[in-house]
Amino acid sequence: MSRLEYHVLLALAGRPLYGYAIKDAVASESTGKLRPRAGTLYRVLARLMTTGLVSETSPAEAAEPHPGLARKYYGLTVEGRRTLAAEAQRLKGAAALAEKRLGVVEGRP
Amino acid sequence: MKRFLALLVRLFPASFRQQFGADMIEQIWTDHDRALSAGRLRAFGLAVATALDLVRSAVAEWLDPTWVGSGRTAKGDGMAGMASAWVRDLRLAARSLRRSPGFAAVVVGTLGLAIGANAGIFSVVDAVLLNPLPFTDPDRLVFIAASAPGSDFPEEFGVSSEFYLQYGEQSKLLEAVATYNAFTATLRAGDRAERVWMSWPTSTLFTTLGVTPMLGRLPVEEDDINVAVISHALWQSWFGGDSTVLGKTYEMAGAGRTVVGIMEPDFHFPDDRPLLWISNVIREEGLVPGRFGAPMVGRLAPGATHEALVNELTMLAGRLPERFGGPANYARLMEQHRPIVRRLDEQLLGPVARPLWVLLGAVGIVLLIACANVANLFLVRAEGRQRDLAVRRAIGAGRSQLIRSQLAESIVVAGLAGCLAVLLAWATVPVFLRSAPAEIPRLGDVGITVATLAFTLFAAVLAALACGLVPAVRGSAPDLKRLRESGRGSTRRRHWGRDGLVVAQTAMALVLLIGSGLLVRSFDALRNVDPGYDTEDIFTFQIAPEGDYLPDAPAYARFHMEFMDRLAALPGVESVGIVENVPLNEGTAGTRFRPEELANDPEAGSLLNFTFAAGDYFRTMGIAVRQGRGFRPSDHSSEPGNVVISSAAADLLWPGQDPIGRRLQRQGLDSWETVVGVVEDVVQSNFRDAAQPLVYFPLVGQDPTSWTISSPAYVVKTPRAETIAPEIRRLAREVAPEAPMYRVFTMAGLARDSMVGLSFTMLTLGVASMLALILGAVGLYGVLSYIVAERTREIGVRMALGAKAAQVRRMVVVQGARVLVFGVVLGVAAALGATRALGSLLFGVEALDASTFLAMSGAMIGVGLLASWVPAWRASNVDPIESLRGD
Repeated sequence: MSRLEYHVLLALAGRPLYGYAIKDAVASESTGKLRPRAGTLYRVLARLMTTGLVSETSPAEAAEPHPGLARKYYGLTVEGRRTLAAEAQRLKGAAALAEKRLGVVEGRP
Repeated sequence: MKRFLALLVRLFPASFRQQFGADMIEQIWTDHDRALSAGRLRAFGLAVATALDLVRSAVAEWLDPTWVGSGRTAKGDGMAGMASAWVRDLRLAARSLRRSPGFAAVVVGTLGLAIGANAGIFSVVDAVLLNPLPFTDPDRLVFIAASAPGSDFPEEFGVSSEFYLQYGEQSKLLEAVATYNAFTATLRAGDRAERVWMSWPTSTLFTTLGVTPMLGRLPVEEDDINVAVISHALWQSWFGGDSTVLGKTYEMAGAGRTVVGIMEPDFHFPDDRPLLWISNVIREEGLVPGRFGAPMVGRLAPGATHEALVNELTMLAGRLPERFGGPANYARLMEQHRPIVRRLDEQLLGPVARPLWVLLGAVGIVLLIACANVANLFLVRAEGRQRDLAVRRAIGAGRSQLIRSQLAESIVVAGLAGCLAVLLAWATVPVFLRSAPAEIPRLGDVGITVATLAFTLFAAVLAALACGLVPAVRGSAPDLKRLRESGRGSTRRRHWGRDGLVVAQTAMALVLLIGSGLLVRSFDALRNVDPGYDTEDIFTFQIAPEGDYLPDAPAYARFHMEFMDRLAALPGVESVGIVENVPLNEGTAGTRFRPEELANDPEAGSLLNFTFAAGDYFRTMGIAVRQGRGFRPSDHSSEPGNVVISSAAADLLWPGQDPIGRRLQRQGLDSWETVVGVVEDVVQSNFRDAAQPLVYFPLVGQDPTSWTISSPAYVVKTPRAETIAPEIRRLAREVAPEAPMYRVFTMAGLARDSMVGLSFTMLTLGVASMLALILGAVGLYGVLSYIVAERTREIGVRMALGAKAAQVRRMVVVQGARVLVFGVVLGVAAALGATRALGSLLFGVEALDASTFLAMSGAMIGVGLLASWVPAWRASNVDPIESLRGD
């Protein structure tokens, strides 16, 4: 799972979001490290939908009004939630392992 | 830009777009808007990044679909199979280009620059020339003027009021006619008063053009001259877009007029300048025939031709004297009269059309040269691949397959170059527009439009074919013997293809060089024209005082004389004068004058222009007094009736005789004026025109009501010409608080402006021809380098057998020179025809000027020899041992 895929799933874990809100959430939750452009972002979203981790859904509250066509909202599927949890678990394990090893390295005389 | 990015979204497969397209566009636009608030540069950077991301993602989506449905059509048979084969080849091509980034950068850069220049100029041509005028059925609109071959009238002149009545009432081929004009006058609204451009057309103008107002109504005949419609720009800038302006009365051109309508934002007539149009009605009662000078526009009846209209109008004008009377010479003039009819767009856009087409032609040539260069590079690349292609052919690849795979690279290159070109055009067109002459109409409409994008796409496709087809076809028939030879280079092979390309490049670059050489010579000649006056250190402006304190002509004269004294007292002011029409800014009117010797013949005399001058006008402008004297203060008060004439006028009226003390009479006046001085001729409006004969009148006539000079131009000689305006403005507000100051210039600025049309064309063409020269030289260098590299083995053998380094160098240079000479001969031949396109842009130099042709051919050969010197030097340094070691 790429970093961007992870952050998109993470963004949608709270509540369903529409396109631009996903981008904003990804940007802020990655502390600005990821700023996906439109082409890249929507291909990732498309892949997550095709693999069944994300689906189109209705917004949690009444959608905020805006001009133009109605926005599409995206949310996690059950499978998406499970995958995100598994990935988070994996990251946590990997991070703990890294800290431990670095700690050993640092501890050397 | 936003629209361009949105267009890129269309590159994605339809099903992908259906799901995500709207969201993508929302993100792109929101990002763009946010970046714009951080600055234009920032937005540009983001746009580039976004465009690249969109193209990359779209290609990736087609090749490796992430969305169900995406790319489904790419597999299958027939068209779909073909498409998938193309996609595969394009992907391979993109990969192979990525492996040689140097080559990719050079070819994409070269083509991108050239296509970008074309896209930029095209966007200007499209907005200014190709867009139809924003009137109903613009094809049926005609401009109508008069001519009288055989008379001493100008070649073409405006019609007079009786023509309007006659044509309007009796022509069957014209549905409607209108006369119009454009001038500056004071507009006063509340306490704001400014001189602005206005037009005073007959109220039929709007129906003739077929336009409707945005708000309110159009003038009708019953309005007489008491109403006006205003432009959208004036409505916004003066009245804040407040629609209650309708029905209110403001002072326009000296009288109160009611605003009845507001025009659409895109309505400009006759050019971009007028801000309002006052209604006018021409009636038969009291009409004096023969007051020529009004431009006329007409609407042709459906199906009517210009020829038929000319015939009809000739006949109608011939009947004018019997309907309106007039003097005997008017009747004679009407016998000679021939109407001039041309399309309205030709009239309004004609003067700027030629330079723009020349520029588009020039950048078109640059594109051809760039294509030739890139094609050359592709040929070399294909050469290196011969073996690879021979193998593919041997194991059964079809010829079309090979062509496709070869063409794919040039398509990828041209595609990338097209994107680069749009970005370049988007970034540089605003800069280009800022330096463009303001007289080009509709510059405000220039932008990267759909038409520009389509043109760019077209140019890119053409470039891809031009660059790719020859190498592809050649490469698709590889010599199977090559396999046996194991790639060993032959000693001396024909290089017709490449040589031909270099010959063509040289020829085209030379055409551009000669063209810009001619323009530089013209510019130089124009700068060296002696206009008859100085342009340095002279400040000029006009004010139009009015009010109860100025009841008559002598009162105006006193005002101007006193104001001149106040101005002369300003620190640093050397002298001050006034003139009715300052050169380079306004033209003078013409009429018939007769010398006293011909007093008995009422129709005798010459057509001369006249103006009014006072103060130290001649000294301030540096106009030399040849004989007699200039004006004295008493000429404008106690002893009226003296005039000063120009040398040309003296030659016309009294050839070979002393004009001082002789008398002349202006048509329409009863008094006779005495010549007290003869001054040097001056160029009135255009450095290209010969000086006109001119008569200078004083501010007052012998009869105080003869004429009134209410708004002359002041000229002030001072080293502070660039900075003195605020002081003079303060002074003007003291003496005439009601009068706005306008037409504020320095003579140096006016002189610059009068040449900006040529200097702009010259600079742009100069840049294009330099680009062409460099590209041409690079092309020659490339070909010679390649030939040297290919012949290394042969050169090594020669040197091993005792050839001197100098001989080897000569051999290579001679090879280059042969190609060059062919190119120069061809280029000169082409330029003989092509420089005629410059036509009226040239001044003081023939289109076939031999010295320019010679000098530019010499320059081309010089640069070409320089370009062949480097490969020649490299050839002479070939180490025989190294070159033969391969065996």
